[in-house]
Amino acid sequence: MIIEVWTKEKYSVNEEAGLIGRLAHAGLPVKTARLSRLYKIEAPFHKKDFDRIAAELLTDKITERYSLSARPALFPKGPKRCARPGLKKFYRVEVWLKNSVTDVVGESVKEAIRDIMGGQPRNVRFGRAYYIACGSESRLKRAVSTTLMNEIVNVYSVTKGKAKG
Amino acid sequence: MKKSGRGEMINFEKLLKKFTKLNEKELVKLDKACGWSLNAAELRQAQACFRKTKREPARGELETLAQTWSEHCKHKTFSGPVRFRSKSRTKRYKNLFKETIVKATKTLNKPWCLSVFKDNAGIVEFGRDKKWGLAFKAETHNHPCAVEPYGGAETGVGGVIRDILGVGLGAKPVLNTDNFCFGRLDSKMKLPRHALSPERVFRGVVEGVRDYGNRMGIPTASGGIYFDDGYLLNPLVYVGCAGLIPVNKIDKKVRPGDLIISIGGRTGRDGIHGATFSSANIDEETSASAVQIGHAINGKKTLDVLMKARDLNLYDAVTDCGAGGFSSAVGELGAETGARVRLENAKLKDTRIEPWEIWVSESQERMILAVPPGKLCALEDILNAENCEYCVLGEFTSDGRLLVTFDNETVADLEMDFLHEGLPNFEKEAVFPAPAARRRPSEKSNKPYLRTLKELLAHPNVCSRHSVITQYDHEVQGGTVIKPLQGRFGDGPGDAAVIWPHSATGDMRDFSGFAATHGFNPAVGRINPYQMALYSVDEAVRNLLCVGAEVSRTAILDNFCAASPKDPRVMGGLVLAAEGCHDAAMAYGAPFISGKDSFYNQSKDAGGRQYPIPLSLLISAVAPVTDIRKAVTINFKEAGSPVYLAGICRKGFGGSVYDELSGTGDNLISEVKMKDAVRLYAAVLKAMKRGFVAAAHDVSQGGLAVTLAEMAFSGGFGAELDLDEAAAEKGLSEPELLFGESPSRLVLEVAKEKEPQFLKLVKGLPVKEIGFVREEPILDIRLGDKRLLKEDINILKGLWKRELL
Repeated sequence: MIIEVWTKEKYSVNEEAGLIGRLAHAGLPVKTARLSRLYKIEAPFHKKDFDRIAAELLTDKITERYSLSARPALFPKGPKRCARPGLKKFYRVEVWLKNSVTDVVGESVKEAIRDIMGGQPRNVRFGRAYYIACGSESRLKRAVSTTLMNEIVNVYSVTKGKAKG
Repeated sequence: MKKSGRGEMINFEKLLKKFTKLNEKELVKLDKACGWSLNAAELRQAQACFRKTKREPARGELETLAQTWSEHCKHKTFSGPVRFRSKSRTKRYKNLFKETIVKATKTLNKPWCLSVFKDNAGIVEFGRDKKWGLAFKAETHNHPCAVEPYGGAETGVGGVIRDILGVGLGAKPVLNTDNFCFGRLDSKMKLPRHALSPERVFRGVVEGVRDYGNRMGIPTASGGIYFDDGYLLNPLVYVGCAGLIPVNKIDKKVRPGDLIISIGGRTGRDGIHGATFSSANIDEETSASAVQIGHAINGKKTLDVLMKARDLNLYDAVTDCGAGGFSSAVGELGAETGARVRLENAKLKDTRIEPWEIWVSESQERMILAVPPGKLCALEDILNAENCEYCVLGEFTSDGRLLVTFDNETVADLEMDFLHEGLPNFEKEAVFPAPAARRRPSEKSNKPYLRTLKELLAHPNVCSRHSVITQYDHEVQGGTVIKPLQGRFGDGPGDAAVIWPHSATGDMRDFSGFAATHGFNPAVGRINPYQMALYSVDEAVRNLLCVGAEVSRTAILDNFCAASPKDPRVMGGLVLAAEGCHDAAMAYGAPFISGKDSFYNQSKDAGGRQYPIPLSLLISAVAPVTDIRKAVTINFKEAGSPVYLAGICRKGFGGSVYDELSGTGDNLISEVKMKDAVRLYAAVLKAMKRGFVAAAHDVSQGGLAVTLAEMAFSGGFGAELDLDEAAAEKGLSEPELLFGESPSRLVLEVAKEKEPQFLKLVKGLPVKEIGFVREEPILDIRLGDKRLLKEDINILKGLWKRELL
């Protein structure tokens, strides 16, 4: 199961501006971008257990929301927002640490899950997802490898997304 | 099978089985494939040793030798013999380090130096009752940060914190420091495929230092950032830590029979060959295993266990698992006794690890303790209470041997003497062709001085570091008296941090503190490495003075970073800088108490040419502040107060920011007059201690105009100044007066009602009144009748307060 945690839109201006700035510095000027945290949890839990982990452990209820689906809607507020220029086409970039690299966030979350659930997951890995509205996948890949990941310790994937509306 | 450096497939096992019979070519091939970074003579020496034992070495034994003999662990360059040739003379050094840096400390023989050059950090006396020692250490983590900035910086901070935990029987960290050198963020140079952009390195390093320091609960409150394209491919990341230790906990001694206990993190394949990696150039073949991953939470647990166990006398000795992992830590602690290690007892992250990899892995957050068997139960209680993992690896013996096994397999069986004394030494050639001095004074600049000042304030090496500093928790532990951002609005620059370490001493009635700061001048070093060392020590001492620290008790650290010392010119610069360190330490009465060096900071650029860093020397300095309540900040405090310039303005723009901006090519370095500086600083300190000085700020990058602007906008006051009266060398040009960076100068705001007493104290010294603070927020600088510049301080502040990140 992958738990994805987002900063609510009314609080996410700064982190989005930071991401847009980094992409611009890497040669990819974009107007809109979002990011989230990913927790890949390998454990024989029920959905309600994952809900509990997400709600009680990984999310700040006031500033964040979560999703248990690996591919949540990018702009869930409806067609108006999606109709904004530049949002029709976006890409989802997932960045993870390589399996051979120690994931200290994942380890801490694993221990925390053991503390609240009683049972320990087989494995927990931490990653990030970036949603970037841009026209060129090749330019995006160049920018991602320049600024959002390091080939020595990370792996990444890019998938084309669709705005809901 | 593995690829050698040339991509050829070689068979390790086959070569290892006939190690003593290999020819030089085969030895080099094996070294490259194993990543040992030993040279041919060292490999031959290892061969000779094993020929005597009439057996072939195990992989673990060669790995142990490679780690122990690495540049990182043995400092071969600095502690080896050197032949320095200049135009007029040839000088030979048997041990460059001992004949310069250590020599100064020995000659000065300060009674307040409690432990120097023999442990993980230097220790000086601290506090009113002399019950405490202040331990201080700075390290570099350059190669790991070039490869993976976040992990490299995190583990750099973790490593230096563990040095403080591993000094004596353990000091409590109270301050972290950070100094970085990056390529210019606006650099247009094409980077090779494997290199990360400077912006990427900068961001990753800052995040790594932030996350580790903040999570450990240690304030990061002193440091600096320097941008120069010389660091584009090889950034420098200096991290430091200071801690408090009771003086009766400084001595440690391993006893035969003590158990070898590893506490903290588990051992994995991460960070293998970190020590030998520091002796290698970074290239496309650099692997992920050289990257270390930090775990601050485990680090914090280890810290808490150690402090409790120390105070209950539960162990005889401690050291950190740094470069070389268990091999270096156990080898170091057992150097005089011997050790028996059973690696099957190690707690592992990954069971697919080879025994020799367990032995040399540099997995983080591990400390090695020498524990008397009778105290193990009490220690286990603390470890369990703190949820800190541990394992009993073996015991220290009395046979002078290092015996390491994994179940029934022998991983290493070596004489301790050979391990620590067997390293062959080679004489290195050193030359330094000094460039001819050129002075290009531009009496009449085409550019208005105000425009130049604005450009200087916005220059990356001058502008505000708030976007980095505010990411660090510099308040945790509640003892940061003088903070990295100072002034009326808490957003001005600072010269030094002042720490009141009551969280470690527990004494709220003793107001003793200490100041920590740095001196760093690689641009001067490009022209004159000897003067670079003098400038750096002078700058560090002056920074301490600016907060009111007792500069006659300054203790300093040296951190040299350079390209390959195989290049005689690199070695030549190093010799001159080391000589400068000696002379400066003697003149300022400031002993070196510890230090570190990092070489091979060079990589191939996009065109395949070697791209070395400039010779870089960071001087880190600490000095006691007798009463932290009287510490001084840089900002102007009160309208009407007179402003004084202490020190003489001298000619030359060599190494200055002005020269970089204007491109005059002036490389004249004005020499540091150390005796004059010491006299001046002593008088100024006396005035500060008597409360005559309300604000003080050193004149450094950007020159006098920048210093005055910073004091003004940090205080929210303007100033009316006339530089006609400033002490200056004859023939000094107006730009040199405003923007020159000649050393040993500082600006003082003197309390108006104390001015007569102040003048008595500085009589006969080059301390001249240059104007006064005023309410109106305008900086107005004249030279007699001529107005040099005039501007609203808020406009100047706006330019200075750039977002770097």
